[in-house]
Amino acid sequence: MSTSGIVVLAVALAATAVAAWWLRTRNGALRTVSDDDEEAGMAGSAAFERLGVRPGDADLTVVQFSTAFCGPCRATKARLAQLQTTRPGLAVVQVDAESHLDEVRELDVRRTPTLFYLDRSGALVGRSSGAPRPDDLTALVDAHAAVSR
Amino acid sequence: MTAPSPHVDVRAPRFAAGLTSVVLAVALLTGSGWLVAAQALVFAVGAVAGLRVSPYGLLFRTLVAPRLGPVREREPEAPPRFAQFVGLLFTVVGAAGYLLGAPVLGAVATGFALVAALLNAATGFCLGCELYLTARRVLPVRTA
Repeated sequence: MSTSGIVVLAVALAATAVAAWWLRTRNGALRTVSDDDEEAGMAGSAAFERLGVRPGDADLTVVQFSTAFCGPCRATKARLAQLQTTRPGLAVVQVDAESHLDEVRELDVRRTPTLFYLDRSGALVGRSSGAPRPDDLTALVDAHAAVSR
Repeated sequence: MTAPSPHVDVRAPRFAAGLTSVVLAVALLTGSGWLVAAQALVFAVGAVAGLRVSPYGLLFRTLVAPRLGPVREREPEAPPRFAQFVGLLFTVVGAAGYLLGAPVLGAVATGFALVAALLNAATGFCLGCELYLTARRVLPVRTA
C-alpha cells in the first residue's frame, strides 16, 4: 500500500464528485450580462461584428463557439438547427473557435460549446458554457423568438 | 490521421474510461509505476492507432458489446481520441514519476488522469475535450 497514493485517490474521488455536481448544476446555465462590465460588452459587440453576426436580422441570434474535439457541440448544434425549423425569429451563427482565437480571447470563451444570446438590438441577453439541457435551450429561445404554427 | 471521420459506439469510450479508472485507482493503491506505464501504453495505442484497435476498444467489442443491445448511438471518434492523448500526457508523467524516484509527482499526475477518466465514465463529460480551447488560447502559434 502506498500512503501518498491513498491520499491522492481520496482527493481524486472527492474532486470528481464535486466536478460532477458542478457540471449538473452549472453546465449550460444562462449567465446574464449584468455580471460583465460595460467595457467588456463594447469589446464584445465589435468581436461579434467581425464574426459576421447581424442581430438586427432576427428576434434572437445565438452564436455558438465549437471545436472539432467537442462531442456535446454536435448535439447543441443539431438542437439549434431543429429549433430553427419552427422558429423563423431565431438565427444561429456557428463559429469554429480555433480559427477565431482573437474573438475567443476578447469574449473570454474558455470551454466549448459556449453560446451567446443576442436580441434584435444587439444587446447580449446572456451566455452559457457547456451544452445546455434541450428543454432549457428551447425555453430560452421561446422567450425571445416567435414560434410559427 | 487515417480515415477522415470514423465513428464509434458511444458506449465504447465510456466503458474504456471506466476500466481506465479501475486501473489507475489500483495503481494509486499499490504505487505501481509499471501499471501506470501499462495504462499509458493503452492511451498511446488509442491516440495513435485509433480507439477501435486500442486494447480496451477490442475488449469492448469482443466481450462487452455482444452482451449489450444493438448500437443505439454513434459519435465521431475525434473527441474521445483526443482525450486518449490528454490521458497519455498525464500517465507518462505519472509513470516517470513513480519509476524515476518521485512517487509523489507520480501519484499526483496519476490522480489527475483518474479524475478525468472517472468523470468521463460517470457523467460522459470529456474534460480534455472541453479544455482543449483553453490550451489553444494560450498557445498562439498553430502547431498542427
